Amino acid sequence: MTARRIRIGPWLYLAPLLLFIGVFKVWPTVWGVYLSFFHVRPYLGNQYVGTANYSKLFSDPDLRSAVVHTLLDAAFAVSGSIFVGFWLAVLLQGPARHVRILRTAVFLPTVIAMVAAAELWTTLLYPSPYGSVNSLLGKVGLGPEPFFNSPHSALASVILMQIWKNAPYDMVIFVAGLASVDREMYEACQIDGAGWWQRLRFVTLPALRPITTIVLVLGIIRGLRVFTDIWVSTNGGPAGSSESVVTFLYRQFSQNNDTGYAAAIGTALLVVTMALTCLMLLWRRRAER
Amino acid sequence: MTSRTARSLCAAAVTAGVAISGAACGGSSSSSGAATSKNAAATGTLNVWIRGSGDSPKAYQKIFDAFTAQTGIKVSIGKATLTDFETALTAAASAHQLPDMVVDDAAQMGDFVSQGIVLPIDKTTFTGADQLTDQAWTSATDLKGQVYAVPFSAQANVLLIRKDWLDKLGLQAPKTWDDMAKVAQAFTTQDPDGDGKPDTYGLAVPGSTSRGYTSWFWSSFLYSAGGDFLKPGGGKFTATLNTPQAVSSAQFLEDQVCKNKDVQPSALGDDTTATNKAFQTGVAGMYLTGPYAYATMDATAVKGKYIVVAPPTGPDGTAGTLAEGTDIFTMADSKQDEVTKLEEFMVSPDAQKLGMTAIPSATVVRLPVNKTVDPAAVHGNDPRWQLAQQVYSTSGHYEYDNAPNWTQLRQKMSDDLNKLLSSCGDVQSALNSMNSDVSSLLKQQGVG
Repeated sequence: MTARRIRIGPWLYLAPLLLFIGVFKVWPTVWGVYLSFFHVRPYLGNQYVGTANYSKLFSDPDLRSAVVHTLLDAAFAVSGSIFVGFWLAVLLQGPARHVRILRTAVFLPTVIAMVAAAELWTTLLYPSPYGSVNSLLGKVGLGPEPFFNSPHSALASVILMQIWKNAPYDMVIFVAGLASVDREMYEACQIDGAGWWQRLRFVTLPALRPITTIVLVLGIIRGLRVFTDIWVSTNGGPAGSSESVVTFLYRQFSQNNDTGYAAAIGTALLVVTMALTCLMLLWRRRAER
Repeated sequence: MTSRTARSLCAAAVTAGVAISGAACGGSSSSSGAATSKNAAATGTLNVWIRGSGDSPKAYQKIFDAFTAQTGIKVSIGKATLTDFETALTAAASAHQLPDMVVDDAAQMGDFVSQGIVLPIDKTTFTGADQLTDQAWTSATDLKGQVYAVPFSAQANVLLIRKDWLDKLGLQAPKTWDDMAKVAQAFTTQDPDGDGKPDTYGLAVPGSTSRGYTSWFWSSFLYSAGGDFLKPGGGKFTATLNTPQAVSSAQFLEDQVCKNKDVQPSALGDDTTATNKAFQTGVAGMYLTGPYAYATMDATAVKGKYIVVAPPTGPDGTAGTLAEGTDIFTMADSKQDEVTKLEEFMVSPDAQKLGMTAIPSATVVRLPVNKTVDPAAVHGNDPRWQLAQQVYSTSGHYEYDNAPNWTQLRQKMSDDLNKLLSSCGDVQSALNSMNSDVSSLLKQQGVG
């Protein structure tokens, strides 16, 4: 009896959350996978189309282009955020009060809603000589740059905005990681005559490997599902130059009313995200053996 | 990392992935409006969704209050929004929780019909059907002649232009495309606001692909060039986007964006809200838009500084401009008899006048569809409304709202046109490509 109670107890505690996840996450996902095999017409009856929606995935040039943009966005925004977040953490680690104030100030972009942040950056990057950033560029003889308004610079501008927004989030995780590094290792290094760079390379970075993996996994998931940042700042344009997989998916659902195709794209994105994440975790496990 | 930890993290990643897909495919979730619909059914109140924001719901409420006073039937506005209105409607349809009635752009009709979410209208038994203009009824009729909506409001694009800027530079309002290009160039280069900075532009252009705005804006030029998007015949459509008329109109627009650089710098990413702002704040001096903009503009500092003229004629003197409508849709599973009564009331002269004037900042009836109502007289002989009525009657062209999915076609054209204007490429080859894209979509929709 006692053993049974011990087994059931934790599940009872978890039950509300599991129920919530089941209803609002798992069930819509299963339903989305089911709909991906249909031409969806709620009031006329859904038509089974087999794998037609999936075949369309591979022959749609607009989706192909969105996939490329998403991969570029994920690669640069994630690596940029990790790089900036790491150096912010290194610069702002420690318990001193003024450092805590600075860390809070640096963290602020993360708590701003993405819609508000995108509106802010749209204003800052207004593509005339009188836009805030262009006005500064003008003072040093550069610009005006079109930023969000040119197919050549829209995606890069969105990536920069994402780094600004996400780097502080990564910083917080790195700060936590840095606090857990054994101080004695640093002292031992110092006694051996290791300089600042050697300490960073041979103590800090290896100690941060598990944390870096978490930041990377979270970043990849965030990067592959990028939506609000693009939808609000560029709407996927100009000329589709910043269209991501999820903005494309949303367009199919909301503007073209092709729910089945949108569901197929969502399912494919789910599979790719899971595969990439698992591959990366396996790679980390092997690297750490 | 241990094998068990890796497996746990992998499981966590799977859960996160599921969350992504859930978010992506979350369209099937029901909305708050759907819940309202259930309540409405229980109380006998009609649940109406309106594509509109700001003061518009207040204006509709005035009409509904008058209807309730006359009939005793209560009406509740379940949802009123401009943003993602059709997405919410699709979600409600997925949950079979549609409202009783929807007031939305006429351009949505074909899409609603192909989804099976609207009921047909019987004109023969519809009280007051003969009072509505034929032009408005046509916009609510499908290819087979079946009426699927009740027209509620109409409009046609007119040209808003800064009178103070014209006066400062000694210019006249443009009557032709050539005039328009000259005025646009002068507004861009001759400092019409006198602040000593080259910070003004000729044309305000909503060139974003959002909701197909690029194509929407281009259409007035297409019509005044004597062109059209499609050619209907035999229950089918043929794309006509690579004709000389279409090419000349796209070339004119490309010249303003690429060669003369007369449009606001953010044009290719701007929706109508941002473009309104460009005109209101003195960034751009000309704006081709609907008469609903009068109330919007008059609520800002630009009030009294602009005039309204007919859209400039094309190269061969053709006068053409985009006409649009707002329609009332009876939704599937609705309380149809009560909805019909409300629709008959909404197109009556009294309700149409209420929609024009009850809330001055929200003219939800722009031009009346009821031919017994004179818009200029209702608006205190405001000549701007008289002009809008005249432009609508003599040179207004509706889009193909009766195509099975016009919004999909318009979105594709908007994407292609936005690409052309972004790349400043060859117009003829871009329109050949657009024609081919639209032909493919027409075939997919079964009308090509």
